[in-house]
Amino acid sequence: MRTDDLISRLSAGLTPVRRVPPPLLAALGWLAMATAVVALGVAVSGFRHDIEQRLMLMHEQVNLVAALLTGTAAAIAAFHLALPDRSDRWALLPLPFAAFWISGLGWGCIQEFVQQGFPALSTSFGCMRFIIGFGIPLTLGMLWMTRHAAPLRPGPVAALSGLAAAAIASVGLSLVHHLDAAAMVLIWHGGSVALVTFLAKRWGAQAMRAMGP
Amino acid sequence: MLAASLAAGLSPMTDTTTTRATQEARWGGLLAAAQGGDARAYDTLLREITPRLRSLCRARIRDAAEAEDAVQDALMTIHALRHTYDPERPFGPWLTTIATRRAVDRLRRRGRGAGRESNIDDLPEGAASVAPVAEERIAARDLRDAVAELPESQRTALRLAKLEDLSLAEASARSGLSVGALKVATHRAMHSLRRRFGVKGDE
Repeated sequence: MRTDDLISRLSAGLTPVRRVPPPLLAALGWLAMATAVVALGVAVSGFRHDIEQRLMLMHEQVNLVAALLTGTAAAIAAFHLALPDRSDRWALLPLPFAAFWISGLGWGCIQEFVQQGFPALSTSFGCMRFIIGFGIPLTLGMLWMTRHAAPLRPGPVAALSGLAAAAIASVGLSLVHHLDAAAMVLIWHGGSVALVTFLAKRWGAQAMRAMGP
Repeated sequence: MLAASLAAGLSPMTDTTTTRATQEARWGGLLAAAQGGDARAYDTLLREITPRLRSLCRARIRDAAEAEDAVQDALMTIHALRHTYDPERPFGPWLTTIATRRAVDRLRRRGRGAGRESNIDDLPEGAASVAPVAEERIAARDLRDAVAELPESQRTALRLAKLEDLSLAEASARSGLSVGALKVATHRAMHSLRRRFGVKGDE
């Protein structure tokens, strides 16, 4: 087909469109929805029995705030990156927060190791189930909201969606589950968040395309 | 182009920048109208931006037909993403990102396709003898032009190492460049030629 004919055809079939909402507004909308969903999960599962003491602990507060900031930054970055006229550098926004979160947990591991020796590690598939169970649907929600990124930068947007969803789910999980050792938190929370991010990066583009532009 | 404008003094460049900005502001307005369903504004917009799309795609893809395919891909992406434009923001970056993505996609797809095609020289004599001579000549000319545009040191290295088939030691003695420098220059030259012709490297 000639380019002229293509243009005629595109403009002949023109229908009015609704503009996408501003990225910050969209991110806040998604975060509100994600918080509500995870809060529901927490309400159903019930708080951990020692929630009051845990929330008084400095490192627990830092851990929660860092996870929340990582999720928020990833969501804001994803919605910006989904638009053609925004810089690729938006992808870097959650990195400092994620680094802070991971290094906080790593520091906790080292402190515990010094005080108590090698920690008793065990498997905690419940953690993984919680983060994946809430992370995947919330990721799909964000992929649907950013599906216009499919022909542009689907990979980074999908990875950020996965990170945002899993980080928010991890905050919820911290309120529910009994994990005291920082090493366990690092392995099971961190590992599950990394897994959801990886899954989103790997299959997010296909999901976005399937949802249509 | 930038160097030329600089050489000609600052004012021509400032003028071009201003006209470009005015033009992009006009295009932004047209697209905002198109978002509301104004088909005539949309038609005007697409026709006016096509030369810009073409130059963006031609900057990356040498083959004219392939570049035109990328232009059409870009037009279709613009159509699919017309609701993502915010009239409060400049139109230029919006357009450039879309056109660049489509051009890069085309190059990648062609790079993958090139791997599956068999080289005409590897086929039996009978098949090779019907290769279109004119096309080969054009390809040879394109290659010569590309080589001529390489920096001096890379050109020398390429000539000695690849065309005259000298060993690195001989080439080094002939050119006065060290073996290491020759290796780097040859590698860089091959890399930029590959990129120019859209062939995926085999490293």
